[in-house]
Amino acid sequence: MRNSDIAISINNLIKFYGKFQALNNVSFNVKRGDFFGFLGPNGAGETTTINVLTGLCNYQSGDIKIFGYDVTKEYRKTRALIGLCAQEFNFDPFLSIQRMLVYQAGYFGIQKKEAEKRADELLDRFQLSEKRNTKYRALSGGMKKRLLLCRALIHDPEILILDEPTAGCDLELRFMIWDYLTKLNKEGKTIFLTTHYMEEAEKLCKNLGIINKGEIVHIGNKQEVLKDKSLQDVFLEATNAG
Amino acid sequence: MLVKNFTGIFSLSKREIMRFLSVSTQTLFPPLISTVLFICIFGLALGKKIDLSAEGITYLAFIIPGLMTMQSITSSYENASSSLFISRWHNHVQEILLSPLSYFEMVLGILVGSLTRSILVISGVFAVSMFFNPMTIAHPFIMIYFALIIPIIFSCAGMLAALWAEDFNMLTMWNTYLIMPCTFLGGVFHPVKLIPEQLQFFTKINPMYYLVNGMRYSVIGVADTSIFYSIAVSLSLAIIMFSLTVYLFRIGYKLRS
Repeated sequence: MRNSDIAISINNLIKFYGKFQALNNVSFNVKRGDFFGFLGPNGAGETTTINVLTGLCNYQSGDIKIFGYDVTKEYRKTRALIGLCAQEFNFDPFLSIQRMLVYQAGYFGIQKKEAEKRADELLDRFQLSEKRNTKYRALSGGMKKRLLLCRALIHDPEILILDEPTAGCDLELRFMIWDYLTKLNKEGKTIFLTTHYMEEAEKLCKNLGIINKGEIVHIGNKQEVLKDKSLQDVFLEATNAG
Repeated sequence: MLVKNFTGIFSLSKREIMRFLSVSTQTLFPPLISTVLFICIFGLALGKKIDLSAEGITYLAFIIPGLMTMQSITSSYENASSSLFISRWHNHVQEILLSPLSYFEMVLGILVGSLTRSILVISGVFAVSMFFNPMTIAHPFIMIYFALIIPIIFSCAGMLAALWAEDFNMLTMWNTYLIMPCTFLGGVFHPVKLIPEQLQFFTKINPMYYLVNGMRYSVIGVADTSIFYSIAVSLSLAIIMFSLTVYLFRIGYKLRS
């Protein structure tokens, strides 16, 4: 990994879906070790930005780097540094959850023995050990959310990208995820979070960015962005929804 | 170096192999049953009416390499197409797209799974055929070449179909309307001389004709066309199909939005 203090660097990112412009000259940086909240109303461009960072989406122009590596030209290096906790439950339906995690670790070059150890640790950490031989469809919604986190963390990435990780979770699970993310961040992981829960972003994040209609409308550290207001008020003003 | 992430390729190949082994009643045994049926009906019953004694072979011996080719094509195509299409359908293709596997390695990982299935199937077909027509392989190294090159071509064809298809109907279209007709017309069951002369041109521009005859030459030492043409056509097809598949993965055709 390059010795860069900037974990995520996005410059002049432009993305079209057909004629619809999803991202318009988006530029911002996320520092190493940051807990960055990336907020926006539905369809504002948060998931598209995540997809560009992770290589799930092509883009028309822009300079996107992960720890100094270009996401297109040096995609093998950038993908090894990122763990994505997606919104949807897109697991292989034919595998037990433990097998699925072991294969996933394997794609990242992790040997079987180490992969099995990591899978067991993560399943244990997220209270899924008893379900290790179960296929994901037999899990509850909350368990599937936890499994998404396990999969994102199986290769011990430097950057954890979370796309609405607590959507649909009950309070107990939400608090559990918050505690775990705080712990990971304290251990040095860079966390990039999108959420529609303002209290979640307010509680967890050190820096915030707000995107609306494909453009960054607010960015900075939490104190600068809030200025004695609640995040909900700032968000509603910034997105012209207030 | 084209391949760096050996553990990644091994994991992906293993997942592909375990996937078809877990449903072996659908993936491995049906080709053996259909082979027995083809041998009984065409080889043992109707085959008695076809005289190939001038070539020094029986009709049964003639069709066995054709059946091996046909089953190799079908199994490798079906394996790659269904695996990739289902992973697109469920969107768990993202598991490999998010990984540090190169696009070359992704294609290679899927291909190894299909190749393994094809090798198991043609080994089974050959073993079953030995009950009806014991024989020795005329050119074992050439047979190994065709046992590898044919599934490489059709695994890539399966991946191309899986990328292109939007639904299961589109997925089966290539196989139904292109691959199977070309395979049957490529000389699996008939020597080219049995076709009217004016139609032989269409057989000779059919690439399957060269694959079937390449396999036939390797197994029984007799074929309708030169082995050099068969090797040249098969190698060219494999390079074109593999390169095209890697290219489509690289540009993210229907994989990235």
